[in-house]
Amino acid sequence: MAQITLKNLGKMFPPDVVAVADVNLTIGDGEFFVLLGPSGCGKSTTLRMIAGLEEATSGDILVDGRRVNDDDPADRDLAIVFQNYALYPHMTVAENLAFGLKLRKVAPTEITSRTAATSRMLGIEPLLKRKPRELSGGQQQRVALGRALVRQPKAFLFDEPLSNLDAKLRATMRTELIKLHQSLGATIVHVTHDQVEAMTMGQRICIMKDGHVVQVGPPMEVYRNPADTFVAGFLASPPMNLLDARVVDHAGGLAVALGEARLAVPGAFNGAYGAWRDRDVVFGIRPEDMHDGAGPGGRTPLDVRVVAVEALGPEVVLVAALADGREIHARLGPGFVAPIGSQQRLHLDLGAMHLFDRETRKAIAQRGTG
Amino acid sequence: MAAGALARRDQRFGLLLTAPGLAALLLVVLFPLGFAVFTSLFDYTLVHPNHDTFVGFDKYVEAWNADYLPDALWTTVKFVVASVVIEFVIGFSVALALNRVTRFKNVYYIILLAPLLMNPVVVAQLWRMILHSELGIMNYVLGMIGIGKINFLGDPVAAFWTVVLVDIWHQVSFMAILLLAGLAALPREPYEAARMDGASAVQTFVHITLPLMRPVIAVALLLRLIFAIKTFDIVFIMTKGGPGTATDLISYFIYRSAFFGLDVGRASAMSVALLLIVLALTIYLYRYMKSLA
Ligand SMILES: Nc1ncnc2c1ncn2[C@@H]1O[C@H](COP(=O)(O)OP(=O)(O)O)[C@@H](O)[C@H]1O
Ligand SMILES: [Mg+2]
Repeated sequence: MAQITLKNLGKMFPPDVVAVADVNLTIGDGEFFVLLGPSGCGKSTTLRMIAGLEEATSGDILVDGRRVNDDDPADRDLAIVFQNYALYPHMTVAENLAFGLKLRKVAPTEITSRTAATSRMLGIEPLLKRKPRELSGGQQQRVALGRALVRQPKAFLFDEPLSNLDAKLRATMRTELIKLHQSLGATIVHVTHDQVEAMTMGQRICIMKDGHVVQVGPPMEVYRNPADTFVAGFLASPPMNLLDARVVDHAGGLAVALGEARLAVPGAFNGAYGAWRDRDVVFGIRPEDMHDGAGPGGRTPLDVRVVAVEALGPEVVLVAALADGREIHARLGPGFVAPIGSQQRLHLDLGAMHLFDRETRKAIAQRGTG
Repeated sequence: MAAGALARRDQRFGLLLTAPGLAALLLVVLFPLGFAVFTSLFDYTLVHPNHDTFVGFDKYVEAWNADYLPDALWTTVKFVVASVVIEFVIGFSVALALNRVTRFKNVYYIILLAPLLMNPVVVAQLWRMILHSELGIMNYVLGMIGIGKINFLGDPVAAFWTVVLVDIWHQVSFMAILLLAGLAALPREPYEAARMDGASAVQTFVHITLPLMRPVIAVALLLRLIFAIKTFDIVFIMTKGGPGTATDLISYFIYRSAFFGLDVGRASAMSVALLLIVLALTIYLYRYMKSLA
């Protein structure tokens, strides 16, 4: 078990591709840490630098406080599970599991017992004599996981191990990985571009963009307080609605001007948002913070035109257009129906609103000095 | 049913288009082959070049008992094993080295391909001149660095190895390029997994590269084996099978039966036998390649 620290970590591929830029992270001992970001943001490169498969061009990688930049991958004692599993095609499942142990000169009896224990835990005992090509994707995935587990490394590095599985199996494996983490108490760095995976599995998630870390924190904290419009627009599906707006004076307080509409800002935010009066901002509100009923009160009405109604079963996603044509998404109760093209009044819970600086795209604090 | 009819019509049209080519092939390949098989059953000599005397399989028996046939077979086996094994070792080493190269790859490819593109007769003539014991540049160079003259083509042992080396010079690129293509097509991921598992370079080669390359290696060896068995040009140009019978490969032996022994019937019988051997190897190779697919 180990703590992994990245200090000013950078990677440049010649001639001038900056894959990772100045990443600073500390992954705690026994933590399930998720690196989340869109394809090409440098997640794999970061993971591969930790593993030692890619050399860092700047910065330090520390495992338990010791700098490992110049260590061979084998000497770092970390295990990686690759996106495409990377099983040895000519070896049986048993041989795949045992190969790393044999190279490390583990005693044959121990190899046998560890292989047996691992395959029992993952339910791949019946497959031990098969070659990888005789396995389904899900089975190969388990073997790849087994190959990492059997080595009992200091930490596990997962590079999108679930992305090649079908949706149902992926959901199952998510749960299994969480259970596995709980039973092993191991340090896990899990790379994914799937925000559902990140939200459900990570104790903390790190959101990356263009090689930079944008935000780190527990999933719900990141969800509630996105650091910028990128994070706000990346988490959840449908993500937060982001609309260009202005802060204006309104009825003795402040309001968000969305075209002709005026959404009165809750008084509690007036202090913090006051400095943004008559300035360009991005207004953000999550689809679940818009309702089709006025509710117990305190909700702000907004008139929209129905563009589409997507019934998902437990909920309905309403795609609606503002007066100026900009589209928003709202998550409504399963009973919602409305003809397409009809006018509808939504009720916004502005206590859950967000404002972002239009230029820097960064979140504007809701409370505090103003 | 309509689809079937359509497929049949397509097939007929295809046959029509390929007919001229097929006809030419039949004429230049199948006819000589048939003629050889036919001739092998007659007492056809260059003294009496006709198919008057049918002798059945007598010529095959005669061929089997021919003087010096065992020598020719043994020489051929030695030649084939020596050249294919050495070509494999050199070819694989070159392929492994080139597989890591990223710069000037094309330059290396062109250098590698150059011998392969040369006509074997040209290759043999070239080396005959280079290795000429009195006038050749090789002995001149060796003399300059203090090594005495080597009678490359006059001494039986030297001549055998000279023929082997010239064949290697000419054919090793074939092996290298085939193996290089195989290496380039290997999946990259198992190598990264092996690095994580702590495999050294040698362990990676033994446990990952060799097993993954096995099919390519088998195909390369078999292909070269088939071609090596039929080697003729180098011997014909450089040694004429000599000195003595030191380089008397089976194909040259057959040639001698026909044009010095004048017994075309017997030469045909041996050719047919050799053809069957090569055919068997080819069928094996074909089956093997199909089993891989
Ligand atoms: N070997 C490489 N050579 C050049 N560029 C690379 C290489 N590997 C990755 N990159 C680039 O680095 C960036 C980050 O890649 P990667 O870490 O694989 O992203 P992710 O895993 O987040 O999808 C991408 O722009 C990618 O094109
Ligand atoms: Mg990736």
